[in-house]
Amino acid sequence: MSERSVPIRVLIAKPGLDGHDRGAKVLARGLRDEGFEVIYTGIRRSTEAIIAAAIEEDVDVVGLSILSGAHATLLPKVVAGLRAAGANDVLVVAGGIIPEEDRPGLAAAGITAVFGPGSTIGEIATHLRAHARRR
Amino acid sequence: MHDGADAVAAADAVTPSDGPSSSGERFDARRLAQAISAVERGGSEADALIAAALARLAAGASASQRVVGVTGAPGAGKSSLIAALSDVARAAGRRVAILAVDPSSAITGGALLGDRVRIDERPDDPGRFMRSIATRGSGRALSHTAAAASLLVEAEGFDLIFIETVGAGQADLGIARLADLVLLVEGPEGGDEVQAMKAGLLESAQLIVVNKSDRPGADRAAERLRSGLSLAAAAPPVLLASAAESRGIAELLAAIDAAAAARAADTSAPPAGRLRRVAAHLVAAAEARLASRLEGAESSGALAALAAAIAAGERPLEGAIDDLLGPGR
Repeated sequence: MSERSVPIRVLIAKPGLDGHDRGAKVLARGLRDEGFEVIYTGIRRSTEAIIAAAIEEDVDVVGLSILSGAHATLLPKVVAGLRAAGANDVLVVAGGIIPEEDRPGLAAAGITAVFGPGSTIGEIATHLRAHARRR
Repeated sequence: MHDGADAVAAADAVTPSDGPSSSGERFDARRLAQAISAVERGGSEADALIAAALARLAAGASASQRVVGVTGAPGAGKSSLIAALSDVARAAGRRVAILAVDPSSAITGGALLGDRVRIDERPDDPGRFMRSIATRGSGRALSHTAAAASLLVEAEGFDLIFIETVGAGQADLGIARLADLVLLVEGPEGGDEVQAMKAGLLESAQLIVVNKSDRPGADRAAERLRSGLSLAAAAPPVLLASAAESRGIAELLAAIDAAAAARAADTSAPPAGRLRRVAAHLVAAAEARLASRLEGAESSGALAALAAAIAAGERPLEGAIDDLLGPGR
């Protein structure tokens, strides 16, 4: 078989207990329309389940949507779990309600970008295309 | 329930292998996931991975491995039913893999793969594996890499492999080519008698289940299907189940095992068993080469030149096809 060019694969997940997935669904749909392969996992997922899904789906990007306020504990856990599983080159970004003062800590934990309310799909797609691993 | 005793006997005959894969190595989900990605990309790495999987299978695969195609209209409850079946199979110690196929957009190439929403994730269970696969321009209900991905999963020693296809109704029968067994999932509203007599998926399914049996009308839907199918030469059993209420799931799994075992023993329509996946992979690769030749002819202008020659009566159609693909019929 000859080699084909392939879309960037993105896992969209909602860690923790908040059940508001409107934003995550809009993003999943929007990224699909931008040509990404989006795996949507649904609400109330444990960080362990998100990590396992990212490994099984061999995604290039994990996008974490969080509105519950638990971002400072949950998001670094996902990054650490991915790295521990050997997925060192998976880009991890976040979206949702995350206060400005918490962002440096998330950046230090390996979250390359935080997209708050008002972020456009185009802006997010551009970031993912620029930073997702090539293969 | 059809053939209840036989079905249970067949289920008992299945040997669980809740341990290392056929090669004796520990299962590595990341390695399998990366191999599936490589097969999706194609190229020489893909060919090498498939060859290695076939070598592992030839060296010692379990004869009780089953690949079950699951198809049906959107909303019939395919994903939920597979999740319920997986739980029952896991409880019996069988390792379960799910390949869930969803369509890619023909325009953007993007895809929204949402089958994990219906799966209760069990991240600490190495006896489960799930992968979402986009059809990626194959223009089919089934990805052209489904057969190859299935072979990779089989080589990891999974006992029960579900391949869920987009509910294309009567449009695509590719799943019948590669699966050991096709399970058609119907909702309680669907399946009138005339529909049951139509050609298509109903013909290629060895087993039919009316899901959502907790809802009103399910019994009647099953009756209508049975009555419509009664004129067929070999009518598939029609079962009732409810994924939501976990009803009829163990019986459905037993029926799947019985029908798959019967089909595996039937050598009247080769290729049988794993050779189905190999043949389906061969067909997919041949179709990809054909598509690439035609695209090449389109972009080089050869197609336009041949069209003009045909229109002017200078070249017969068969001769033009020989020009495109090489001689032969």
